[in-house]
Amino acid sequence: MKEFSFTSFLTSNLNVEANDISALTEDCNRRVYKKDELLFQPGMVCSHTFFVEKGLIRQYSIDPAGKEHILQFAPENWFVSDRESVYFNQPSQYFIQALEETQVVLIDEEFIRVLEKKIPAFRDFNNRLLHNQIRHLQNRVNLLLSALAEDRYLTFVKMYPDVLLRVPQKMVASYLGITPEGLSRVRKELARKNKQ
Amino acid sequence: MQRRPIWGIFVMYLNITVMKTRTVELVARPREPHFVGDGFRVHNFIPSGYRLDMERMDPFILMDYNSKYHFPPADKPRGVGVHPHRGFETVTIAYKGKVAHHDSSGGGGVIGEGDVQWMTAARGILHKEYHEEQWSKKGGDFQMVQLWVNLPKKDKMSAPKYQDIRNDRISRYELAENGGVIEVIAGEYKGTKGVASTFTLIHMFNAKLNTGGKAAFNFPGHYNTALLVIEGSIKVNGEEEVPTDNLVLMANDGENFEIEAAEKSVVLVLSGNPIGEPIAAHGPFVMNTKEELKQAFLDFNSGKFGFLED
Repeated sequence: MKEFSFTSFLTSNLNVEANDISALTEDCNRRVYKKDELLFQPGMVCSHTFFVEKGLIRQYSIDPAGKEHILQFAPENWFVSDRESVYFNQPSQYFIQALEETQVVLIDEEFIRVLEKKIPAFRDFNNRLLHNQIRHLQNRVNLLLSALAEDRYLTFVKMYPDVLLRVPQKMVASYLGITPEGLSRVRKELARKNKQ
Repeated sequence: MQRRPIWGIFVMYLNITVMKTRTVELVARPREPHFVGDGFRVHNFIPSGYRLDMERMDPFILMDYNSKYHFPPADKPRGVGVHPHRGFETVTIAYKGKVAHHDSSGGGGVIGEGDVQWMTAARGILHKEYHEEQWSKKGGDFQMVQLWVNLPKKDKMSAPKYQDIRNDRISRYELAENGGVIEVIAGEYKGTKGVASTFTLIHMFNAKLNTGGKAAFNFPGHYNTALLVIEGSIKVNGEEEVPTDNLVLMANDGENFEIEAAEKSVVLVLSGNPIGEPIAAHGPFVMNTKEELKQAFLDFNSGKFGFLED
């Protein structure tokens, strides 16, 4: 299976030598979480952004009725960041949990500043990442407000081609804001239309 | 009268003399088990074992071995929910316990002790595998092997199919001197042919040997060959002792080898002509290129593998 590393993520997006980057990224903290382990939970203030090198994590909330709502999945090469916590230093409302054995790089604001200083192009790139995240969230809110279940599903599998195979269907349904039965209907209908 | 050419005798003589003994390359102990779903507690030998990657054991690209394990009674059958496959075949050989299978092409059934289920996923199938309901309610010892057999490029996108091979359809070769029996699932043993239809040349046998029973095998030297000791213990070529649950990887340095049972034993014997094509594998898909893997995810996500209720 392909290896993903924070170093290769940066070198493939920035015009820098792998050696220059790895000298910096080797100092980053890495942690391995077991399947189902929580990276953090509501009430905690988390000063890290997580970059997934191996595995899969999810960010979710639990409503007063006890129902889970998944905001984001993060497989290899994705970031998860609780902005409220990382940037505004407020207690988080969210859980972040490993869905498989997962290795993450813990990135703090200080490291971002070091990168910006040593690699000037990083500032633009980081800015672009942030805008990309905002664009993604805008599209996601719009889909949840306006799109049919099938369109939500098709957007999901385009963005996360292998997540359907890695998590229970009920989690995908939770991410899409539909019931597991609704997801099953969508997939059944697609199979009827597309069966080879 | 036809004259027997003298060189014919010479060739026969040459054949006999150039047949070499196939030696043991390594004996692999079972690795730490992990659960597939909640119903299969397996040791993976291929592809994660040392020197047992997909290329080395081509066309046998995966072997999960559920060594004998006691499952307590359960009202809700344990197993693995709906998941896809493309590009290869799954072969499940049951030694103890019962498994029920359903797939999106309409295939399905229950296999029990001595039975084999040979599912050709080819261009794409969804299936689920659970302990059979009545068996699950009682619980008991469970022991199975699941193999993934690769398909050549030309057959990867062929139609899925399902071969339900009950024990009474499996051909048997009785060994001399009450040595035991060779059950031929696929391929051929000393003229006894297996019923399974395969896409490439594969020999797959269960050697059920009595104490002291001997069986000799002869496969072309380039066929990748392994033995899994399901029960008992054996000696290979009169020297290498192999206990229960161990796998023997045979070297590709000869054709002939012999096993002898130190006690009543069951040995899964595998030998196959390597396909020799590039392998691109991710999760449940095994194709030849990365692009084909991407297409497999697209096709699965868009329902091209059909639908199967969980």
